[in-house]
Amino acid sequence: MLWAFWLAFTSYDMVRSPRFVGLENFVSLSRDPIFTQALANTLVYIAGSTAVILAVALALALAINTRTRGARYCLSGIFLSNIMPIIAVCLVWRFLFHPHGLVNQLLSPFGFGRIDWLTSESLAMPAIIGVTVWRFAPYFMVIFLAALVNIPGEFYEAAAIDGASGLRRFRYITLPLLYPVMFFVVVVSALLCARIFLMPYIITGGGPGGATRVLSMLIYETGFSYMKMGRAAAISVVLFAIAMVFTLLQMRLFMRGEED
Amino acid sequence: MSTTMSPETTLTQQSLTRRRALQRFGALGLGAAALAGVPTRARAQAKAPVKLTFWTWENPQQRPYIVNRINMFMQKNPHVQVDVQVFTFGDLGKKVSVGFATGTAPDGYATGDWLMPTWLARNLIAPQEAKLLGYPSVDAFRKDHADAFVQGSIHDGKIYGFPLWFYGFANYLNTKQYREVGLDPEKDQPQTWAQLGEIAKRLTIKQGNKFTRQGFKFAMHAAQWTMIQFNPIVAQCGGQWFDTSGKCTINNEAGVKAMTIRASFVRQYGAEDPADTIATNPLPQMDWLKERCAIFSCHPIPPAAIKSQNPTMEAEHYYKAVLMPGVTTDKRYSSCYGFNLVVSARASKDKQEALQDMYRFILADPVDCWEATAPFTMARKSGWTDSPKVKTFPDVQAIIAAKDTGVFLPRTPVWTELADAMHRATQKVVLNNADIKGALDEAAAEVDRATAEFKKG
Repeated sequence: MLWAFWLAFTSYDMVRSPRFVGLENFVSLSRDPIFTQALANTLVYIAGSTAVILAVALALALAINTRTRGARYCLSGIFLSNIMPIIAVCLVWRFLFHPHGLVNQLLSPFGFGRIDWLTSESLAMPAIIGVTVWRFAPYFMVIFLAALVNIPGEFYEAAAIDGASGLRRFRYITLPLLYPVMFFVVVVSALLCARIFLMPYIITGGGPGGATRVLSMLIYETGFSYMKMGRAAAISVVLFAIAMVFTLLQMRLFMRGEED
Repeated sequence: MSTTMSPETTLTQQSLTRRRALQRFGALGLGAAALAGVPTRARAQAKAPVKLTFWTWENPQQRPYIVNRINMFMQKNPHVQVDVQVFTFGDLGKKVSVGFATGTAPDGYATGDWLMPTWLARNLIAPQEAKLLGYPSVDAFRKDHADAFVQGSIHDGKIYGFPLWFYGFANYLNTKQYREVGLDPEKDQPQTWAQLGEIAKRLTIKQGNKFTRQGFKFAMHAAQWTMIQFNPIVAQCGGQWFDTSGKCTINNEAGVKAMTIRASFVRQYGAEDPADTIATNPLPQMDWLKERCAIFSCHPIPPAAIKSQNPTMEAEHYYKAVLMPGVTTDKRYSSCYGFNLVVSARASKDKQEALQDMYRFILADPVDCWEATAPFTMARKSGWTDSPKVKTFPDVQAIIAAKDTGVFLPRTPVWTELADAMHRATQKVVLNNADIKGALDEAAAEVDRATAEFKKG
């Protein structure tokens, strides 16, 4: 890691020795629209994925927690998406999002025409976010489920006696007691999303026109295709800084948990 | 894929009786005595063992030929052992770069001619000797190869790449589909892009918003293909990729005209569906092979490749390779490109010599090479074009003409950046209907930044 930090301040083509250039790589990055686009894509991806993962994982956990018949089987079935090989998942979703693929076929009875999910600049990123949610939400669902199981039943019984509706019980009991877990989920899923590479690489190749190219892809391209390892290291430092923000938040969360 | 081949393997496969062994030793002794006056043979026997690493790219016809020749070379030169590794076409260049960075680069490798400036600018490849490659001089070597091709492999009067295959793109027509819409594959060959657009429109079949058959399509899966297919249109429109100062000029009037032609198959003729192309099989010619596309411009397609995907098409031979269209009928040329065998500058002297011996051996029998890999044409001029096996090959005139008249891909040390920038620009234009001038301005600016950084070192 220290070597990567050092490289960020050098010009290094992987063949000749690294040459110290100071902050030149960072200055050059700040003026590079390709980097700016990849940074924006990464932030949109992190924010979009994290928000939807949070909502979907919580909704799934609440649904499973009703303890109706078959819930356990549903839990196993849903969790399968998290343990499938990532490359297979990406390839399957590529086919599902094909202009004449299953997703569009399922939508067509509802009056939707052909949707170019992976080749439209405005839809490609939401499609990638959708796959990310499908992949990771079940993992966080299990975390929510563990937290839900730990909420004492007496709280709900007391609220029911006071005449609180289901929605109010959720709003005033479940949600506040889940806040620490929600915060944990946000931080961990954001960290997970910050270093995503394979999904956009396999599903869209970063396209169309760079609309789904995230920082990790740009690092790979810059380092290994363009042989600019110093510049790639500088982008890595930026990505590291983003990940560091979430890591610090996570550390504070744990420390607060221990104090409590 | 890694294939380590040892000549010992083949020798141990034969069972030796004691008598047969004694006979062989005796014969060997006599033979050795008889050859004592042949210095080259004596030198070969005295040579110390050499272990070589060689990397090449995967192609169902070309890779087996190269590997087979290397195998034969090792049998003839028992002191040489070659570890061959094969990578996908798109990955090979990156693997070599990483290899140089990590000290694991091969001693020799095959490379696309468009990457020669990348290796040369960084002094990564060593010069080769004309005599070791089988030529009396550099000049003789130059004369025996296509001029434009050796311009990329000869640098400062020294040979840096031994040319292997070299070919141009041709337009592959499905003659059955041609006839279905009342066109004559002989008379109605598209000679201009406008004609191709009209013909492609006629060949297109749509059901609602679904293309059952695309009349013509460009590949969309890789930057390399984007460049190969766009490059001749730029040249035909009078454009150039760079001006004399090295500034990228693809956003000038000629570039815009070329991209307008490129996009016309979507915007004007409605004959192709790039969103479908990009989302389907990465083998670019697959839609043509499966008859979901009537015309496709492609490198020479071997009959074996057609047979494997569409046996009926090959058996009934309802396809034809013709020259690419031009902006005008006198400019019917395509991109051409080829591959060089190069030697790492970091390989020891004895390895460099052994590699050059091996390279000469790989291409020692051009007719055999043609037979095994036809219709992939070679950069070498001599020794194969007059063979009846070549002359009788279907559409060989068009295939050879495509090579001889083709324009090369731009030779620049920022090739990868250029190809990626153009790939993105093309995606924006044909998939998202972006403004052509704006997309090309962005691409040119990207390339200029890359060039400036390269110059800074």
